Amino acid sequence: MFKKFFSLMLITIIYSLVSANEPKVIYPFEDSVHEERFLSLLNELRCPKCQGSNLAGSNAPIANDLKREVYRLVKSGRTEEEVKTYLIDRYGNFIVYDPPFRPDTYALWLGPLFIFLITLSIILVILLTRFSNSKGNQ
Amino acid sequence: MKRILNLMPLVVFGILVVVLYSFLTQENEQLESVLVDQLVPEFKLPALENPNNILSKSSVNKLPALINVWATWCIACRVEHPFLMQLKNKSTLTVYGLNYKDDRKKALDLLENEGNPFEFSIFDQQGKLAIDLGVYGAPETFFVDKEGIIRERHVGALTQKVWKEKFEKFLNEDNDV
Repeated sequence: MFKKFFSLMLITIIYSLVSANEPKVIYPFEDSVHEERFLSLLNELRCPKCQGSNLAGSNAPIANDLKREVYRLVKSGRTEEEVKTYLIDRYGNFIVYDPPFRPDTYALWLGPLFIFLITLSIILVILLTRFSNSKGNQ
Repeated sequence: MKRILNLMPLVVFGILVVVLYSFLTQENEQLESVLVDQLVPEFKLPALENPNNILSKSSVNKLPALINVWATWCIACRVEHPFLMQLKNKSTLTVYGLNYKDDRKKALDLLENEGNPFEFSIFDQQGKLAIDLGVYGAPETFFVDKEGIIRERHVGALTQKVWKEKFEKFLNEDNDV
């Protein structure tokens, strides 16, 4: 019973690993540096249609077109920066998960700092009240 | 004072819930186009109507114009089709089609059955020009002014309302000059 279960699990895992490596099959590279660059770009670039995922994790037609384009560019020897610039020129900063610093994104950029300052002041107030309390008790 | 402080985490949590929930339901379908205020990109692609007719940027010469990205597999394109026909009949504006990742025969059949609002359609089966235009889903519509500069982009069906809000002003502007 257990053996059966484990062999089934093993098969499932092996198959999932095979499918995770799919890009290598569809996009063959002779140069391993290029291949690494291609795979890391797919992880860093965002799918413009399905906005929650990167190119690697998306199978939308536009994501596949962009993968092919990235493949073509990397294979022709472009650097990571050049590929990114190429896509930013067409799809905007959005595609590299790099939002611009503008009034409508202030909350995004400054929010964490704001929360940090609030937290810090809360901690300070708590510490100060404790400190003055213990002083008062002495 | 201490009581208020004790309630703070709850208050912060409450605010976070409201803010994050409002972002969750907010549709963020409209991406700004970086192509706005830039020239129409160069291209070399066949015409939908005739594979031997190779079109380029200079073929898009009746300006101002709309470039409409469409396909037979795209449902919202059917929705906007009557409005494009209306534009063709009523206005002086030229509408160019960019037939996007489509089947030539299906596309031609559709135009024959439902009317052809386009001056011509560029046949972009690989989505080459579409990538240069930053297209991420059909339908998309670009307004090109008489200098050949893209002024506006709309993602989604082009309706009377969208036309009034986003595009009509450019037409008036062009007529004034």
